[in-house]
Amino acid sequence: MSPENNQGSSEDDKVTRMIVLGPKAQLSQSELVSKLHMLELPLTIKATCYGALIYGKEEVVMDAIGQIRDLDPSNIFTKDRGFPPGDPRRCRAKRGAARDGFHQLEKEYELLEYVCDALENPKRVSLKKPEKISPEDFKKIVQECEE
Amino acid sequence: MKIAVFPPNSLILADMVERRGHEPLVIQKEMRKKVTDPEIDSPPFNITEEEPIKGLKYAAIEVPSGVRGRMAIFGPIIDEAEAAIIMEDAPYGFGCIGCARTNELSMYYLRKRGIPVLEIHYPETREETMEVVNKINTFLDELEKPEETEGSERTGETGKTEVSKLGNEKTKEQGED
Repeated sequence: MSPENNQGSSEDDKVTRMIVLGPKAQLSQSELVSKLHMLELPLTIKATCYGALIYGKEEVVMDAIGQIRDLDPSNIFTKDRGFPPGDPRRCRAKRGAARDGFHQLEKEYELLEYVCDALENPKRVSLKKPEKISPEDFKKIVQECEE
Repeated sequence: MKIAVFPPNSLILADMVERRGHEPLVIQKEMRKKVTDPEIDSPPFNITEEEPIKGLKYAAIEVPSGVRGRMAIFGPIIDEAEAAIIMEDAPYGFGCIGCARTNELSMYYLRKRGIPVLEIHYPETREETMEVVNKINTFLDELEKPEETEGSERTGETGKTEVSKLGNEKTKEQGED
């Protein structure tokens, strides 16, 4: 196998992950980045306004995600990203406008506070849809209301 | 289990799925294959004329090439899914998710797959969000117990036969083409 191919295959198994801090997070973006650096894992780390981007081999990235999540489990959210950090095809600095996907992240960020509340107070709910009532029952209800 | 989420780039849905120990099937993984390939035939992304052809598996030839091209990327997610969470009325419609007809077609295929599907609406308030998160967690927990997966909100008891019928029709159509 040629060196180019070797390099290609090593790049193939690298993944990018976005780490998003919820509004109630107990740590700031800069703290998050320093914690990531302190893990001493072979990762590319980029600080962002919502948290951080990490790039590296999949198992290393997942290891880092697991350790970082433990810091504040209900307030740290993660998401896959297709492009590597700073990719000129996506980077805001080169394109001069909001990054694709930013608007969605912005919209979902509004709900993260409530998601955190739900994660901290889990409840078991029924997935059954309310059943339809028969016309006879409906007629009875109408009659009762009219009386 | 491999869980397809819709919208396929949703942070909340993908994160919920991962927290419960399942694998979310997200669009970013498919996009990564298109943008990190060392040989990019059609810069800046590797979306070539092959994509609309691959999309023919999911949409007829009369369907716009944009829909077929998108289906070539969404399709593998739909095929791979063992369960699905569909969040309807999501307010964002940007980037790769910005085609309403593709979204409809993808949701249709997910429903017709005959896999357990949880359908929810995009929450707006605190109460709605908490209910949605609890529903997702309950759904994901129940997936691990196959004997209890007959919730009324799941679809697709007849899905498998319909899919096979669809498949036959499509093969015939393509054969004629």
